[in-house]
Amino acid sequence: MKLSRRTRGAVALAGAASIALLATACSTGGDQGSDGEDITLTITTFGTQGLDGLYEQFEADHPGVTIEATNIDTGGNALTDWQTKQAAGAGLPDVQAVEEGWLSKVMQVSDSFTDLRDYGAEDLSDQWVDWKVKQATDADGRIIGYGTDIGPEGLCYNGALFEAAGLPSDREGVAALFGGEDASWEKFFEVGKAYHDKTGKAFYDQSGFVWNSMVNQLPEGYYTADGELNVEGNEELEARWALLAQGAADGLSSAQTQWDWGGGKAFTDGSFATFVCPGWMLGVVKGQVEAGGGDATTGWDFADVFPGGAANWGGAFLTVPTTSKHPKEAAELAEFLTSAQSQVASFQAAGAFPSNLEAQTDSGVTGESELTAFFNDAPIGEILGSRAVGVVAQYKGPDDSVIQEQVFGPSIQELDSGKADGPTAWQHALDLLDELVEQ
Amino acid sequence: MTSTITPPTEAGAPEPRGRHPRKAARTTMRADLTPRQRLNRWDVKYSPYLYVAPFFVLFGLIGLFPLVYTFVVSLNDWNLLTGPGEWVGFQNFTDELQSPLFWNSLFNTFSIFLLSAVPQLIAAIVIAAVLDQNIRAKTFWRLSVILPYVVTPVAVTLIFSNIFGEKYGLINNLLTTFGADPVMWKTETLPSHLAIATMVNWRWTGYNALILLAAMQAVPRDVHEAAAIDGAGAVRRFFSVTIPSIRPTIIFVIITATIGGLQIFTEPKLFNATSSIPGGPQRQYQTTVLYLWDLAFNRQDFGKAAAVAWMLFIIVVAIGLINFWLSRRIAGVEARTSKRRTRRRLDAHAAARAEASAPTPEERA
Repeated sequence: MKLSRRTRGAVALAGAASIALLATACSTGGDQGSDGEDITLTITTFGTQGLDGLYEQFEADHPGVTIEATNIDTGGNALTDWQTKQAAGAGLPDVQAVEEGWLSKVMQVSDSFTDLRDYGAEDLSDQWVDWKVKQATDADGRIIGYGTDIGPEGLCYNGALFEAAGLPSDREGVAALFGGEDASWEKFFEVGKAYHDKTGKAFYDQSGFVWNSMVNQLPEGYYTADGELNVEGNEELEARWALLAQGAADGLSSAQTQWDWGGGKAFTDGSFATFVCPGWMLGVVKGQVEAGGGDATTGWDFADVFPGGAANWGGAFLTVPTTSKHPKEAAELAEFLTSAQSQVASFQAAGAFPSNLEAQTDSGVTGESELTAFFNDAPIGEILGSRAVGVVAQYKGPDDSVIQEQVFGPSIQELDSGKADGPTAWQHALDLLDELVEQ
Repeated sequence: MTSTITPPTEAGAPEPRGRHPRKAARTTMRADLTPRQRLNRWDVKYSPYLYVAPFFVLFGLIGLFPLVYTFVVSLNDWNLLTGPGEWVGFQNFTDELQSPLFWNSLFNTFSIFLLSAVPQLIAAIVIAAVLDQNIRAKTFWRLSVILPYVVTPVAVTLIFSNIFGEKYGLINNLLTTFGADPVMWKTETLPSHLAIATMVNWRWTGYNALILLAAMQAVPRDVHEAAAIDGAGAVRRFFSVTIPSIRPTIIFVIITATIGGLQIFTEPKLFNATSSIPGGPQRQYQTTVLYLWDLAFNRQDFGKAAAVAWMLFIIVVAIGLINFWLSRRIAGVEARTSKRRTRRRLDAHAAARAEASAPTPEERA
């Protein structure tokens, strides 16, 4: 008896102590009041968003505000970080960067984000491309995020390899080769087949990114606009799947490991000649080529064309969680970081294409940079601006990322490795859909 | 304590009503104690509990509470982000027991465990036996053996993941140089299990070898010498002296390897870090812990993840108990057989002596 009473007391004491400890740890975010006094704003971003210089400027313009910034290496790790803190209900920063890929998760708990309309979001919304604002608007019409970058997709291709295969290698010629304005996936695979017949090499790195683009550019993807599951019996999807399966069967896929590519080697040894490139991917390509021992002479270029029309992949938003003690200042910071001037700076630092209309045409975006030099002096800013025209915001359901990764991921690998043919792999995907997603 | 202070009352002596000599005596005794003495008594009585308290407090906070809380979560339809939903009782458990993915993860876990634990133990015993010999630069060899253990598992996995790369990995490059087909280390079941087992073995063999070496050194040398004088060779001594003497340590190593092996996470998680599904494109090496992580953080099903965690906990406890029972049985059998053997030999000896002292007619003739 004595033991248990004492132990209980000690547990309570230790518990209280640790809670107190946690409480102090949490409150270091600055609770000195919001009117004219010194406050600290915390912000969590990921990848290379190129915002560091902008923090200093904001601090200089707002005396008394200190910014504590955390940058997480990848979007995936940032998701884990956000999810854990969201689930725990504590530890979220004042400004949280959110990626489009996990926006559907964020939307499930959209009421734990501040409605930015309270801080003037409606007056601002004209400054972004319209579908960016639509993506950040939840079912109740609340705007919970300011757009940073977008990921309009163009086609990266290796000019040297194209030339060796007897195909046109200049940007205009390549755009025309794929059908220019009327570029379709049929045409893409047709060109790929011709390339493969000629050289015996694969045409694209692996089927995952291609499928991703194929689904993302449809008006309705895995879900209908009303939020119904839209996979089984979706003829459009199935037709595209058949194209993809045929392409893999014809040897057009190099079956690389995505995000690995043999440590960049695959980009330099001629394993494949094309690559789907959202704006932010250009920096990735450059990094991979350099990691693989290549440089600008490896031959990568960027064409103003995309099969199946306009497509968007990725992009981010800045949100203000409701746990923020200074939502007004946090919203102000988010607004500042997504303004035209900031987005130009961010593009120059990281290649993230602006969602801000004014920034898109800014000479800082359309002009030359290290990236344009790497891509054979391609006018990257202009091309991305033109690729952004006509993108539609597709409704993403709550399990969108699960369907993308876990339902179709295995089947795509089956296609690439030749483990299954198109219809079998499609059926496997449907089976997994039943298993993994509640319908 | 008190009994030595309280004067003993005579047994059977009737106590006068209204007077309480015992009580009175005790109160006077209490009053006689100085504060210092009282403190001393408290010290003797309570401080042992205080000394062991830190462990139990910590255990309660980070061991028991999460265990119970996980169980509560497992009884709910609990979404990672939107929080607890309906109370579903044991629905999560029955769902998971019917899920092919859960059984797949169990199969993978046991397969990787067996592929790693068995060779690892054999290798560790052999290495320990070699280190137990009189070799030069003993400390150097012993330190070298423990070196892989010092490297963090993440680093180990990154390096091995590179070596086992399917297209650009060292091993497949070598294989194709010699004209063999490349092995699909990351997308096929058995090769991936072998690759992961290799990582585990690389890291843990030396560690286990050192534990076994310590046990071997505790085996009395005279037993070895006696066996050697009796004509037992090195191999015979190893199997008949060394192994039986270190049996408890072997069992300890097996139990810890089992617990560790069933909770394997880092190696399969980072083996193909960019795979869209943790644990291989078709879950070829998705172990149970990886599966529950996937359930919780990718599929947001916290309730089911908690249920899987509990089932894994039960499995680990069950296997621990089986191990315990087996080891006791083995020890018991050993004690019985050795007793029987001794008795048999003594009897034979006695019989031989009796025979010797009473010569048979044949002998006389």
